[in-house]
Amino acid sequence: MNNPFRKDLVSRSQPEACTVVIFGATGDLTHRKLIPALYNLQVEGALPAGVKIVGFARREKTDEEFRSGLEEINRKVSRSGHDDEIWTAFAQNIHYHQSEFQDGDGYKKLAERLDEIDQDRGGKGHRLFYIASAPSFFDDVLEQLKNAGLNECKEGCWSRVIVEKPFGTDLPSAQHLNEVVNRTFQEKDTYRIDHYLGKETAQNIMVLRFANAIFEPLWNNNYIDHIQITCAENLGMEGGRGGYYDKAGALRDMVQNHLLQLLSLVAMEPPTDLSADGVRDEKVKVLRSLRQWDTPELVAENVVRAQYTEGHVDGEKRVGYREEDRVDPESTTEAYVALRVMIDTWRWSGVPFFVRMGKQLPKKATEISVHFKEPPTVLFNALSGGVPGGNVLVIRIQPDEGISLRMVSKIPGARLRLEPVKMDFHYSTSFGKGSPEAYERLLLDSMAGDATLFARRDEVEEAWKFIDHIEHAWHESDTPPPVAEYVAGTWGPKEADDLLAEDGRKWRRL
Amino acid sequence: MLALGKEVAIGSVDKELRLLWEQDKASTNASLINLAVYSEEDGAILKNSELVQEITREHACRAILIGIDRDDPEASIRAWITAHCHLSHGRKSVCCEQIAFQLTGRATGRLRNTVFAHLNSDLPLVFWWQGELSSIFSERLYSLIDRFVFDSSQWSEPAESFKCIEKALQDAGELMPMDMEWTRSYPVRLAVAGLYDDPLAKKALEHTSSIRITVHPGHRMAGLQLLAWVIQRTGWKPSMDLGLNTANNDQYYFETHEGSDVMAVVETDPSAAPVAGLEILSPHCKVSVTHEADSPYLHQLLEVGCHRIERSTPAASDDSAELFMDHLSRGGKNSLYRMMMPTFLGFLGVNEEEI
Ligand SMILES: NC(=O)c1ccc[n+]([C@@H]2O[C@H](COP(=O)([O-])OP(=O)(O)OC[C@H]3O[C@@H](n4cnc5c(N)ncnc54)[C@H](OP(=O)(O)O)[C@@H]3O)[C@@H](O)[C@H]2O)c1
Repeated sequence: MNNPFRKDLVSRSQPEACTVVIFGATGDLTHRKLIPALYNLQVEGALPAGVKIVGFARREKTDEEFRSGLEEINRKVSRSGHDDEIWTAFAQNIHYHQSEFQDGDGYKKLAERLDEIDQDRGGKGHRLFYIASAPSFFDDVLEQLKNAGLNECKEGCWSRVIVEKPFGTDLPSAQHLNEVVNRTFQEKDTYRIDHYLGKETAQNIMVLRFANAIFEPLWNNNYIDHIQITCAENLGMEGGRGGYYDKAGALRDMVQNHLLQLLSLVAMEPPTDLSADGVRDEKVKVLRSLRQWDTPELVAENVVRAQYTEGHVDGEKRVGYREEDRVDPESTTEAYVALRVMIDTWRWSGVPFFVRMGKQLPKKATEISVHFKEPPTVLFNALSGGVPGGNVLVIRIQPDEGISLRMVSKIPGARLRLEPVKMDFHYSTSFGKGSPEAYERLLLDSMAGDATLFARRDEVEEAWKFIDHIEHAWHESDTPPPVAEYVAGTWGPKEADDLLAEDGRKWRRL
Repeated sequence: MLALGKEVAIGSVDKELRLLWEQDKASTNASLINLAVYSEEDGAILKNSELVQEITREHACRAILIGIDRDDPEASIRAWITAHCHLSHGRKSVCCEQIAFQLTGRATGRLRNTVFAHLNSDLPLVFWWQGELSSIFSERLYSLIDRFVFDSSQWSEPAESFKCIEKALQDAGELMPMDMEWTRSYPVRLAVAGLYDDPLAKKALEHTSSIRITVHPGHRMAGLQLLAWVIQRTGWKPSMDLGLNTANNDQYYFETHEGSDVMAVVETDPSAAPVAGLEILSPHCKVSVTHEADSPYLHQLLEVGCHRIERSTPAASDDSAELFMDHLSRGGKNSLYRMMMPTFLGFLGVNEEEI
């Protein structure tokens, strides 16, 4: 029976009370994102009553110590602030379970503990396992969950697993992980987090495209010249990040997951319905239609990789990539990547998608810009300066979420002079209230069994297939394309500009 | 009237607004809705200007304040303009325009012709009516409105006023009603829904034997609406004649699908918070949500055998600007309210044929 009081009250999905078990609960992700997200759901009244949280990690801690560590960080980072009374009631439901990931006994004890919690609920309960640990432990945790029978649930209940990024480091490792996950949990119970999909603006892409009659008719190769997706960061390898990053690189860390997900949302056909599989079926078709850059020559023609050299960002001096903490001084890992992506479908034939991601760029910004073709200019050809560029629709993902449209207008005066003008919509200006954090939405959706905003197995594998060809050309071919350089604090290497200049295009200035 | 800004001639409101923006180049003009706030109470526009200042922090709008003294024999109209500005996320100054109109005398026609000439085109009109409904609330007015906000706790004859609202809803199919009383009960409804997510509570629901709702005497409407919501959601049927009123309590009887008899009472307590509590009891299960007067929290409790859940969540504020903002930020078509209405009108003794 459904809860009759939930229906029509808040969101469409109905989250169910469950025990959330977090593996790696003493880590950064749990403290800074997961617990604050659950706390804020409680504040909003969206968290079902009876949700229990069990943190699983290696060090010795009492429940009290664990809670006070979480509280300290929640005070600093919680979106809605921290309220002692609400926290106290919330924290009563948080427990700590000490064990090694590889220790079978630890899982047996966990199973007993979960049974006790369920006893209190009348014998049965739903379970949500959140694997917030380094990917090298995924296998262990999943195998052990299976050995302890925790992947199975009692009749009428569910057991689900949430897996964090990175989901594999290449296609074989992702396939392996998928096999391990699917040996333990069914695909329908597997939720692969891509927190970009939980962001309001990413969700808004579908609304913008399909709820406004003016865009969709133009959303094809007849009217669109090209599309750019940019993710710029103004930081480098602070906080010891170099160790992880130098093994991954920009392509694996950001493009394989977040940016290809954004690209799928922008390029997909209208889904038949808004169900999880309805949407994901269309997204995966985009990934399947990516033209593969499967030789070193094609990679050299269509992909630029680069590292930053010493420079200044925000007025501060920054060292070069190879001088960063925990980075190999001879590293060839890319801290910047720019790609030309072609989608071989009817709709997108001939329309290049330019995707770039870089560290130590002048500012932090993620956006998608849709560049429309220029109208026939016969009418205005005679004018000095001609027509200044075509229409550009920009979807800003972060920060300062919003949408803007560039148009051409006449400058007032007796002469006919044309200039671009911008219509700009800022979420923060129009909606004073901040957006919820991506993790809030994603946790709630997983409790409600709604996987729309999570990556499906085939999506992840198709994305890796595309990425692997490029990684292969860079690291395993005899003629690897070169690693370009750019000065920290500039907008990337000249080679990336050339990638667009070949067809007379330019990166959008952010 | 200084707080209302600059007094301007009726014919030059638009021109003066433009001048206002030209003087201040650093600000962004933002607006997602037209917000009209209407009151027949003396001095209300000043108070409402403060409310709008608060509301524009979260909801960018063009505000139109309307104060009317209908008893004044002489017909007159005055107007003031100003802008409410806030720093958005500590950076940009975002401003919303406000036009205030003070009318005297018979005003229906002038209200429509003068006041509504200043709406921002294409943006929806949210109309906040304060106090008793009057003859100004007529088809000519409500046909212009998208969302009609009122507070039934301010009505002396709720049954009559609700009939007017129902008639308006029938006439103007697109009109979305929003009763502040309904918004006041939202956190309690949300808490009840949260507690019934628990499988044991869900199981016990059909065995409910009593429902007790406690409200402040000024908020009987909120209590009755809350009860109507429970009954409409569960689909329980009345088991005896409705409205066995004891001294000052509303008491009703229902039957669950499984045949359990439910006694429901909406009681009032002058020392209580507006919507002070809801308790649903069955032989083995207690669900209760309570709001102590002056406490910022709702206390939620679920007890089924030895299974016990207790938690606190923020309670509704009784500040009208905050209630209004809560409602706006949830948006939606308020379909739940429409669904609950027939049961609620039944409690008030309003018969649908009368409308
Ligand atoms: N941090 C973020 O903002 C973020 C964002 C997106 C994705 N992610 C992903 O989320 C995952 C976790 O990130 P994180 O930053 O939270 O990592 P982290 O701070 O390094 O935390 C690792 C956690 O794993 C536990 N652990 C390590 N080895 C263990 C073992 N053998 N047995 C039991 N527990 C063990 C640690 O417990 P002890 O401390 O007790 O040893 C700690 O709780 C990673 O896959 C990361 O890529 C993180």
